[in-house]
Amino acid sequence: MRRGKRRNLLTPSTFSLLHAVDFADRFIYQILPPLRAGMIVLADRYVYTAFARDVARGVHPDWVRGVYRFAPRPDLTFFFRVPIEVSLERLLAGRAKLKYYEAGMDLGLSTDLVESFRLFQGRVLEIFDLRVIEASHDIAGQQKIVRRMTGEILREYDHQRAHNGHGNRASAR
Amino acid sequence: MATEPPHAKRWHGHGLPYLDEKPLPGHLIVIEGTDGVGRSTQVELLRGWLELEGYAVSNTGWTRSPLLSATIADAKAGHQLTPITFSLLYAADFADRLEHEILPALQAGFVVIADRYMYTAFVRNAVMGADPDWTHEVFGMALIPDLVLYLEIDVDTLVPRVVRGKGMDYWESGMHLALSSDIFDSFQNYQRRVIAEYDRLAREFGFITIDARESINKIQTELRAHVSEYLRRAQSGPHPEGDAPSRPKT
Repeated sequence: MRRGKRRNLLTPSTFSLLHAVDFADRFIYQILPPLRAGMIVLADRYVYTAFARDVARGVHPDWVRGVYRFAPRPDLTFFFRVPIEVSLERLLAGRAKLKYYEAGMDLGLSTDLVESFRLFQGRVLEIFDLRVIEASHDIAGQQKIVRRMTGEILREYDHQRAHNGHGNRASAR
Repeated sequence: MATEPPHAKRWHGHGLPYLDEKPLPGHLIVIEGTDGVGRSTQVELLRGWLELEGYAVSNTGWTRSPLLSATIADAKAGHQLTPITFSLLYAADFADRLEHEILPALQAGFVVIADRYMYTAFVRNAVMGADPDWTHEVFGMALIPDLVLYLEIDVDTLVPRVVRGKGMDYWESGMHLALSSDIFDSFQNYQRRVIAEYDRLAREFGFITIDARESINKIQTELRAHVSEYLRRAQSGPHPEGDAPSRPKT
């Protein structure tokens, strides 16, 4: 994938499918086995990232959802929402300039990187069955809400079964 | 569909919505058939003949995209692939060739000969046990070809051809499916399943079936007859200049 990105050769479809390959590989080797073992998997991003990103790039929404149909719906999904200005500020503070693909420059939306990012992220607001957390609020407050919702979901969770395994957590990103 | 010209283009599913709708006056001809059946020989002969007939010809083959051919070869060498990652890599290779080779050539009025097409993925995925509905969804970006010529063979005729040719390889013998630890048994078992699935698709998608047990020349003569007949009908249709592919209603 790095090879294609470096040469800016990817079309919206090949970009989408290569990310799907990467996701499928992690899903099969890192997410599915711990789930089968009764463990809790924390995924930093899931299929929804692809749905939003790839549809914003122009592929058909039903197509990209179909591509990811092998992945089950999570028991709980949080969507950390930030106003676009905040997300842009955070990204720009971290590095000199936005990466070409992150800003959707290959879509030819705008020749100005920052303006292009603004347009691109603005389209990434298609929300599914996600719990929205306002990520511009303080971290402790956000964490409190996340823990409460997670606790509700895990009320029936069998700790004993997971402890009998080789640990009770797995994370995937 | 009786009102459509014989070469009206359609997408298999949702197509590529981000592309401008452009007429595709070219012709997409697919040659399908299992490993070792003689597809590449026939494609080369067909190409030479069509060029002499005055057509601009472009050909494309499975896993030959500049973007992915090396990646797929690496992944196969590592044996890390599952049916899902395998299918998605094939789909990415296919999409790359579709957008960079097939559609531009069709726009320019070329005859495109595809050595294998999406049906190869349908067959392999079905044999690997991937959900067939999922495979169709993934290949929803594909353009439906104008003509599919299927080289049909039976396993007993295929085996000596492959043994005399390049030999039995790991993947073509279906060793990844662990059907048998013996490569010869596995090859027979796997290819029997592949051929059965091709035969099923031939009925479902209306392939033109050619008996591949015949000689190279006899097969080529038959292929040319079908291609000539198709081109004659396509060029006498109501829109010989071609139309943009139609999209499904959503």
